[in-house]
Amino acid sequence: MPAIEVSHLTKEFRLGANQGLKQTMLNTGARLAGKKAEKRPQFKALDDVSFSIEQGEVVGIIGHNGAGKSTLLKLLAGISTPSSGAVAVTGRIAPLIEVGAGFVPDFTGRENVYLNGAILGMSRKEIDSKFDAIVEFAEMEQFIDTPVKRYSSGMQVKLAFSVATSIESEILVVDEVLAVGDLAFQRKCFDRMEELINQQGRTVLIVSHNIRQIERLCRRTLLLDHGKLISDGPPSVVCDEFYAISNAAIAKSIANKNIGRARFESVPEFELIGIDLRDSKGAKLDEIITGSDFTITLHVRCEHEFCDITAGLGVHTTDFFYLTTHSSESNARTFDLPAGESTLVCDIRHLPLLPGVYQLRVGISNRAGATILYGENLKQLRIVSPPDAPMPASMRDGMFLLDATWLAINSASVHGMTGAQPASNENTACQAVMASDARLPK
Amino acid sequence: MLTIAKNLYDYRELLMTLAWKNVTLRYKQAYLGIAWAILKPVTLMLIFTLVRSFVGIDSGDIPYPILTFAALMPWTFFQESTSDGVNSVVGNTALIKKIYFPREIFPITSVLTKLVELGISFVILAGLMLWYGMMPTAQILWVPLIVLYTVLAALTIAFCGAAINVYYRDVGQALPVLLSLVMYASPVIYPLQLVKDKLLVHQGAGEWSGTLYTLYTLNPLAGIIDAFQSAVLRGAPPDLNAMIPGAMMVAVLLPFSYLYFKRAESYFADVI
Repeated sequence: MPAIEVSHLTKEFRLGANQGLKQTMLNTGARLAGKKAEKRPQFKALDDVSFSIEQGEVVGIIGHNGAGKSTLLKLLAGISTPSSGAVAVTGRIAPLIEVGAGFVPDFTGRENVYLNGAILGMSRKEIDSKFDAIVEFAEMEQFIDTPVKRYSSGMQVKLAFSVATSIESEILVVDEVLAVGDLAFQRKCFDRMEELINQQGRTVLIVSHNIRQIERLCRRTLLLDHGKLISDGPPSVVCDEFYAISNAAIAKSIANKNIGRARFESVPEFELIGIDLRDSKGAKLDEIITGSDFTITLHVRCEHEFCDITAGLGVHTTDFFYLTTHSSESNARTFDLPAGESTLVCDIRHLPLLPGVYQLRVGISNRAGATILYGENLKQLRIVSPPDAPMPASMRDGMFLLDATWLAINSASVHGMTGAQPASNENTACQAVMASDARLPK
Repeated sequence: MLTIAKNLYDYRELLMTLAWKNVTLRYKQAYLGIAWAILKPVTLMLIFTLVRSFVGIDSGDIPYPILTFAALMPWTFFQESTSDGVNSVVGNTALIKKIYFPREIFPITSVLTKLVELGISFVILAGLMLWYGMMPTAQILWVPLIVLYTVLAALTIAFCGAAINVYYRDVGQALPVLLSLVMYASPVIYPLQLVKDKLLVHQGAGEWSGTLYTLYTLNPLAGIIDAFQSAVLRGAPPDLNAMIPGAMMVAVLLPFSYLYFKRAESYFADVI
């Protein structure tokens, strides 16, 4: 029996402000007279969404702002009612929708724990028995009898998270809560979530914009776009799709308004005209194959001569996680660019990025280190797996290719092996041997 | 009806906790604490007593201050639980949008909260009775029933008012004005006996007197206040004739009010 069963779920909202009393009266009058009342336009926050989630599944829900994620959670939690379709939930559902809803600033931490616990559906006895654990997890022993209004915002969230995750419910609904507190506490929250998921076998629904978190915690991901469920599958695949959509949206906003570019600065005399990707034969590339060689060509235009410049290239994810950077400085190379147009070519060998969508950033500076040009999100790098040797799904998690080979060694043949021996099972040991040449076809 | 009772039972701890929150919160940083709860009826009692010294209201054989205090107790309870109840849903927007539990918890909590304050007023009433040397009789056992009836009357307005208030905040604004009108239409400043004498004994409005009196007692507060005064001060059972029209009205309207609230409830989170 599925824990959550959603069939043809649709939620419509009326656009615009609430009608005034006069309009309502007129409409009611019109309806009573048998005429059609003037209707406000409807907006479908969720449009015919169907899926079912089994007991113990951990499902991430992603999508751009306004895709309907929170609306979906609200419908699941019974806060809001569907316009059509049905939601069937088996078991108690604990909403972790924005922790700290219902904290009263004038109450002490202790009082708030009891209040919030009761609001989330815990009995007084249950809270009594868990109180110490809650306070200990939140690291709040010292402040528990201080009014919450004197807490820092981080402290409030820590306490709230601690209360919310101590509910014993079959289904846990989490909306953007893991980003709480400092790094150490975030780590703790993450561990708590993993514990809830892995050891207690709860059904968990997570909404987050942190795709990496989703990939890490979930076994299945739903992608919502404008209220429609457009993808349902393993996180790596669905997240790629989401990146593709996000990138298209970013590209569009750049094309439309020439804004949305994350960071871009340049001196007025220097202009970056274009960036090309070319293969070794000089043909332009749209996609790059993992492990292949290619060049990145920068076309620039200078109004006067620039001497002794260094150029740098970097690759980052769409959420601005810098993966790698390379600067011509490392080849002890500087360039002199004359006035007019020039081309800078960066030759890349054995691209070690796993398939996915990445972004390019470029920096050019003078000898003194002052920026001539710096920009992020300048060009999309679409990396695909080699057409003749598709990448196994198990290698889709991560960013870069590890240059390695595997072999199995029987216990009988262990004698004579040299080098470090990793901890092994009884009769088979697996060892990663760093091979000197690239494993992937050209 | 059964589901209401079951919900109330299931969520009794939440109800209690929320009521406790309201009571503590209101007086959290006040030096006089919960003593403020009785400020309103005591002040009004003093004002009415002062006014009465110019106007002259016949209070029978019971001293006017205690008579009016005994009227102000159920009245203040009714008035405050109604207006708090009507504003309770809108006032808890954060919770409504984040967490589900049956929404009738909010108006009911408001009434529960005021019940605590009513309890405190009883201490003052006991003090006044002692001062005037009055002893309660066995009739005082009517009080819990009268209070329960007041709760139902307050909820009748609170349920439907709270639901409408989500859509049109006008209700929250209009209610204080309406309630202060109701106060003059209820035997708070004057005892019910005066109205009864005028209409039933002297037939002050001619052939319309009987109808007018029924209309007057359609207001549940007419019966409630008089019954409360009788049970506590006069040592007499409630005047059922004065209570029946109001009680019938509550009995008819409360289910509708509740059903309307439950129907509107599922849209609170969207509209609020």
